[in-house]
Amino acid sequence: MATPNYGLIATFDSTPDLYHAAEKVRDAGYKNWDCITPFPVHGLDKAMGLRRSTVPRISLAGGITGFCTGMSMIWWTGAYDYQITVGGKPLFSPMFAFPVSYELTILFTAFATIGGMFFLNGLPMHYHPVLKYDQIKRGMDDTFFIVIEARDPRFNLANTKALLEQAGGKEIKELEA
Amino acid sequence: MSTHAATAPAALATDSTSSSAATKALIIGIAGLVLTGAGIALSPNKHGPVMSYLVGVTYWTAIAIGMLMMVMIHHIVDASWSVVIRRQWEHGLAAFKWLFVLFLPLLVLSLLKPGYIWPWMDLNHVLHGHETVGSDVLYQKKSGFLNTPLFMGMTVGFFIIWVWLSARLRKASFTQDSDGNAAWTKTNRVNSAMGLPLGALTLTFAAVYWVKSLEYHWFSTMYGVWFFANCMRGALCCGVVIMVWLYRRGDYKGILNTNHFHSIGQLMLAFTVFWAYVTFSQYFLIWNANVPEETFWYNLRELNHDGTTNQWWYVGLVLVFGHFVIPFCALLSYRFKVTQHIIRRIAFWVLTVILVDMCYNILPALKDVHGDSLPFLSINLLWVLTSVIGVGGVCIWAYLRSLPTTKLIPIRDPRIRECLTHHE
Repeated sequence: MATPNYGLIATFDSTPDLYHAAEKVRDAGYKNWDCITPFPVHGLDKAMGLRRSTVPRISLAGGITGFCTGMSMIWWTGAYDYQITVGGKPLFSPMFAFPVSYELTILFTAFATIGGMFFLNGLPMHYHPVLKYDQIKRGMDDTFFIVIEARDPRFNLANTKALLEQAGGKEIKELEA
Repeated sequence: MSTHAATAPAALATDSTSSSAATKALIIGIAGLVLTGAGIALSPNKHGPVMSYLVGVTYWTAIAIGMLMMVMIHHIVDASWSVVIRRQWEHGLAAFKWLFVLFLPLLVLSLLKPGYIWPWMDLNHVLHGHETVGSDVLYQKKSGFLNTPLFMGMTVGFFIIWVWLSARLRKASFTQDSDGNAAWTKTNRVNSAMGLPLGALTLTFAAVYWVKSLEYHWFSTMYGVWFFANCMRGALCCGVVIMVWLYRRGDYKGILNTNHFHSIGQLMLAFTVFWAYVTFSQYFLIWNANVPEETFWYNLRELNHDGTTNQWWYVGLVLVFGHFVIPFCALLSYRFKVTQHIIRRIAFWVLTVILVDMCYNILPALKDVHGDSLPFLSINLLWVLTSVIGVGGVCIWAYLRSLPTTKLIPIRDPRIRECLTHHE
């Protein structure tokens, strides 16, 4: 079957079922797969073998950029581009540049965090192949799903199906791309 | 002395290690106090050791106040993650009555020798050879607040309020262990709603009276907030040290998970930023306005009368980097916050720098004949050390004595289950 399938979707009835199935899929070495749950399941990230998010690094980069922008902006305006003495103070001092730098640190950190989160999550995403599955709306109510993508190097229609069956998945369906 | 300390360990059959540790702490504490006393008795200039003792008492009182505020904030926001750690802070509150006892010598000394510690108490105290405190218009305008009877009354009042609030919070929490009545949680919520404004006011006035009034000419509206920031950081760091200690001893195995360390580490980071914010604001506004009545306080901590840099300038830099930059960068890391030996190291570091901050605020009040602040590196550091160990030993003894009198964690707190399964 050489159809351009997106992958396989399996249904689970309860949180423990899903949790243990996720552990099996993780241990089988799959990388391109996901769980769909109606509510956050604590510890599922560990069961899926997910590492901590890299958003904090992007935030840090944003913060450092903001701080440097604030410092250099105050230096450039006050001590370089338009030199003018105010209140007998030096043309540049980190003292009075600090409030601006501090504000820009926060602002740029916030931008980087939101932007980084959107980027890493692949948002905005207007279409996703699982939306074609007619039962998917139950994933917002009382049912749990595991989706394994066909682009995963370990994906093999028969073997992956067997793995999901063995992990307790019901109604294993192929998803159109 | 209360009697339950003697009976409770037998009744609960809990560890004898903490009672022997308590005795050790008390012996070390008394040794520190005796050494400080010897320093005061034997030093040719007794002013240094006395001010060092003020550093020691203020330092531990700040930590105890921080614990009181943490417990009350816990109740007022109905927190769940900190239920098990709250119990350790409640034990820490046992130190207040002993801190009161240890503060009394300073009050007695001020009555016997007015102006020896707080110069404004002596109206005949000569200011830089010009005039006396009594004829100083800045003193006259502030004398409604800065007068000895009010100072004495307020200081006693602060301790009464702290001891009283601690007793109420402890009683409700400890009683809940045995009767499991959720009403105690509500009681403590009311105690906290009443106690938080009281705590905020008392700690602010205490900071102004005990520390800021050493230079009574000075103005700073940030001072109470600065003190509060140190109180909170001290309490959080002590919380971390206790958590790691009890975890390694085995008591907290299965109770604490990485998320508890993550959460308290996040608060440490937040209060690091808070400390930096208020401390910088205080400095920045004074630097910007450049008014002599305010700048002299920082000048004392930077320059001698001949314009040369003194040692306090470097101490100030140690605070900027040691009290803010280093802990801030370290606490940004998730791994550092959840790795026990690293977060404990950060906690010890911050506890040390809080002491340096107290020295920075108190010790420059010691001056030579030119009116310059005496250097930081001096014999006084030894007396700071003996005082901190002395007062600290007594505080740790009070904590360890209280520890075996209750269950290790508030087992019947309505939020205990949520706390034990604390997650991100």
